[in-house]
Amino acid sequence: MHDEEYYKSIGFMCGLELHQRLATAHKLFCDCPTNIIAAKDGSRNSLSRQQRAIAGELGTIDVSAGFEAERGRTFIYNVVGGKSCLVEIDEEPPHEINKEAMRTALAFAKALKMKTVDEIQPMRKGVVDGSDPSAFQRSAMIAFDGHIDVNGNRVEIPSIFLEEESCRAEAIHSHEVVYNVEMLGVPLVEIDTWPYIRSPKEAKEIALQIGTMMRISGRVQRGIGSVRQDVNVSIKGGSRIEMKGLQEIDYVDMYIDNEVKRQQELLKIRDELLKRGASVGAAADLTSIFRGTKVKLISGHEGKDGVVYGFKLSGFAGLLGREVSPKRRLGTEISDYAKSAGVGGLLHSDEDLKGYGFSGKETDEVEKKLGVGRGDSFIVIAGSAGNVANAIKFAMERAKYALIGVPPETRGVIGDNTYTTRFLRPLPGGSRMYPETDVKTFVITKQMLADADSLAPDIDAEERRLMAQLKDRNLARRMMLSTRLQTYKGLAESSAEPAFIANVLLQKMTELRRAGFDVDAIGDERLEELFSAYEKKKITKQAVEEVLKALSKRDQKVGEIIGQNKLQRITGSALKRLVEDAKKKVQGREQVIKEVMSKHRLNVDGAELNGILK
Amino acid sequence: MYADTIEKELRKQGIKTGDRIKVEYSGVTIEGELMPKTGVGSPDTIIVKLKSGYNIGINFVGTRVTKIAESEGPIKFPAAKLKQDQDLPKISLIITGGTIVNKIDYRTGGVYPLIKPEELFHDVPELSKIARIAMKNPFSMASEDLSYSEWKTLAEEVVRELGSGSRGVVIAMGTDTMHYTASALSFMLQNLNAPVVITGAQRSGDRGSSDAFMNLICSAHIAAKSDIAEVGICMHKSSSDNECQFLRGTKARKMHSTRRDAFRPINDTPIAYVNKEGGIKYNGQYKKISGNSKTTAKTKFEGMVALIKTYPGSDPAVIDFYLKRGYKGIIIEGTGMGHTPVTPSKKEMSWIGPIGEAIKKGVVVGMTTQTLYGRVNSNVYTNLRKISELGVVYCEDMLPETAYVKLGWLLGNYDANEAKERLNKNIAGEISSRTELGEFLV
Repeated sequence: MHDEEYYKSIGFMCGLELHQRLATAHKLFCDCPTNIIAAKDGSRNSLSRQQRAIAGELGTIDVSAGFEAERGRTFIYNVVGGKSCLVEIDEEPPHEINKEAMRTALAFAKALKMKTVDEIQPMRKGVVDGSDPSAFQRSAMIAFDGHIDVNGNRVEIPSIFLEEESCRAEAIHSHEVVYNVEMLGVPLVEIDTWPYIRSPKEAKEIALQIGTMMRISGRVQRGIGSVRQDVNVSIKGGSRIEMKGLQEIDYVDMYIDNEVKRQQELLKIRDELLKRGASVGAAADLTSIFRGTKVKLISGHEGKDGVVYGFKLSGFAGLLGREVSPKRRLGTEISDYAKSAGVGGLLHSDEDLKGYGFSGKETDEVEKKLGVGRGDSFIVIAGSAGNVANAIKFAMERAKYALIGVPPETRGVIGDNTYTTRFLRPLPGGSRMYPETDVKTFVITKQMLADADSLAPDIDAEERRLMAQLKDRNLARRMMLSTRLQTYKGLAESSAEPAFIANVLLQKMTELRRAGFDVDAIGDERLEELFSAYEKKKITKQAVEEVLKALSKRDQKVGEIIGQNKLQRITGSALKRLVEDAKKKVQGREQVIKEVMSKHRLNVDGAELNGILK
Repeated sequence: MYADTIEKELRKQGIKTGDRIKVEYSGVTIEGELMPKTGVGSPDTIIVKLKSGYNIGINFVGTRVTKIAESEGPIKFPAAKLKQDQDLPKISLIITGGTIVNKIDYRTGGVYPLIKPEELFHDVPELSKIARIAMKNPFSMASEDLSYSEWKTLAEEVVRELGSGSRGVVIAMGTDTMHYTASALSFMLQNLNAPVVITGAQRSGDRGSSDAFMNLICSAHIAAKSDIAEVGICMHKSSSDNECQFLRGTKARKMHSTRRDAFRPINDTPIAYVNKEGGIKYNGQYKKISGNSKTTAKTKFEGMVALIKTYPGSDPAVIDFYLKRGYKGIIIEGTGMGHTPVTPSKKEMSWIGPIGEAIKKGVVVGMTTQTLYGRVNSNVYTNLRKISELGVVYCEDMLPETAYVKLGWLLGNYDANEAKERLNKNIAGEISSRTELGEFLV
């Protein structure tokens, strides 16, 4: 990755929005539990809803809302009793705002040296993708004008919000999205930075530092999905892109860098297109050309309302196949727009059309009908008439934008280890926000501020505490930044060897993760059992790793794993007997150790063995 | 609005809500629009809308507030060009207020009724493909404030609209007392020969998830296409946005304070189900449109009618209160099959004396049940017989609210004897002689 000077030279702009779920007992505006794993399931129900675009603040329909409305999708909400009530599914007004969540948000505001507002007014923020059954998210600004120091640099924090978690999409089909409602309404703190972050690396460091501040409070949820970043990125000549829901903090820099490169590639393509005098032609009905076709992606749609449409891209030849980010081409970018209208994708002439089953005649006729000449490309989309109409429209709009540069978009993560994103919807214009009139405003008292002061997490103090415990600056720093910090604190409380625990959590578990073991699936309860067995001298250090491996494969009581895998530590008189037996076989201290360890490596503690042989 | 002291100070500086202002205090400068205060929260704060769209409250004391620019005024709601297809049937849409027509000003958070047809067609463009729509707005009131004078206005409005060529009428109103309005129109409209569809919403139309859109579309379908010649309520059938149901006006009741499927048929099943695409499935018996009979209205109403509820320990002196006030009719919502306390341990708490007294004075007393479902009966128990022997009219399977409206209407149009005679005879579908198994918890 490049240095800060480079990013400055390309007009790099980057801002973060960090979202962290809070570990309150109840949701933000109702009394449903936030720990949905522990909650008992009630009856299951499914609701089918539709939402429409509503005119926003300026009396016009927002581009992203209009886009969603044109897609006309149905939203299915799976509701499990015990985890959700009428409030989440838009059948009951919100209850009073959760005071415990408010306390936490105020404590974070204090930690970030922010100015708190005197009266909090929850707002409704328009949501267009169905991820909230009410079509808005409740969000309240708690404080503003703060800062945090990251590696000696002051980073300004303009605002902190308290808001509701949204639904989790379980399945996304062309005309229907299935949502799980259980997490909806869990309190979430959002902390923003200004868009003045100087490099991808700095973005990652800021995210880590703020994440740590929240984590050391012990008042936030842990585990997959409990924390995520939205990252806004643009470069000179490009556009603001919002990458939504990045969960892996370790790769934030990679995502940002790939987005920078994508914008650079799109701008190069734009320049090339302008040089060539490129343009996008009109759409034409190509259905008759493909009667009885062998192209599988088209023949699948032959039937009563199946159609094939296409359009010419004059001067685009070779550019649709140009890579803009790892494994993604300009053609892929256009295809994602088409897909959002419910078609399977598109075919374009920079691809091996013969390989898709195009006959020479079909290609000729398409080219003739669309007027495709040398240096031109074309795009073909097949599907049901309704879907294709929208898909062609969206794809043409995107293709035309290639002549302008980078379309402003909200993009989502592609989980294929390429650290890239794909188009979700156009970037919303002005925020569609108005007061949540169903709840009272909330007055912050002096007493609440004093309480927040005492609760405010202090990173420096935490680091000093860890340093005193671990006696190793590097280890203490790493432990503090780790997501396993709370786990560590729980385990280290009653331990004589905190450094060993820290090393296992940081070093050993990372090694195992890299080796393909799913160590993140191991719960705190099991880790407690494991280290307790170690402290009670039931197992050796070496066996700890074996137990972790077993736990990452299957959740099981640690005692059972020790028994099944014969991992019991051999200690005291039993070990002495082993030594005596070994002495009968071999001569010399080194040889005895070798003899004992060769058979009982996992069961014998080296130090104890050394002690016996002294 | 704001506390007097703040209001005065702002006025002195020529600042009014909506203006762009700058707020400065101890090193902080905030710019935004001054928002109206909704009456809750601290009297000491002013609410400012930031550029981000968020509203925050700032303590007024100790700040310096200056005006930057004048208010841009209320937002203009978008409108669609009115294109009415002359081949479509004509219906009337009478708008009276309530959640269904509430629109929010995103800038100030203020709520305004939507009464311009072009705004309605912008929000619900489907309507213009269903019918030609004539919009009327006789009043804008919350449904909890409505009473018989508004029912009267509505009945007259319906007659006028049907007389001027509409083949059906949709009435959009608040939901709380919708079933009272439905009952009142059922009795007031005579020789009704068209669908009269009452609808509303449980979630306001300013949110994308509002039930208002589907309720309006489905109601328009019923008004424009169905052969039903009754007054009914058309709202969501379930919590999903799949289908609405059309419920007989005298047999419907709001059974949930917030759900979109709050309206249920009681001792009845829906007359029809209708979806957004206009598919109507008829379900039960109903009065059909026939011939060219002219609908008229009989709108007189006796307001001196009370609806009271008995319960363990309920004091019958409430009847004395109404007698002294000169009431002419009382509907009792009794327990079970129509009981009031008859022989309680405290003798003075028996309702027998006061009820007998009322009837002797010529007051019409009707008995309904607070179980809502099922029929009252004056024979099964001795105590029931004691009450009915006083001359109390047992109102069969009629809902208490319907009985209240019916008695007011009867006493407005007939003498007390005739009103008493007609109270437990069916007029507008409010009483059925038989109750089927499938009519419970529908």
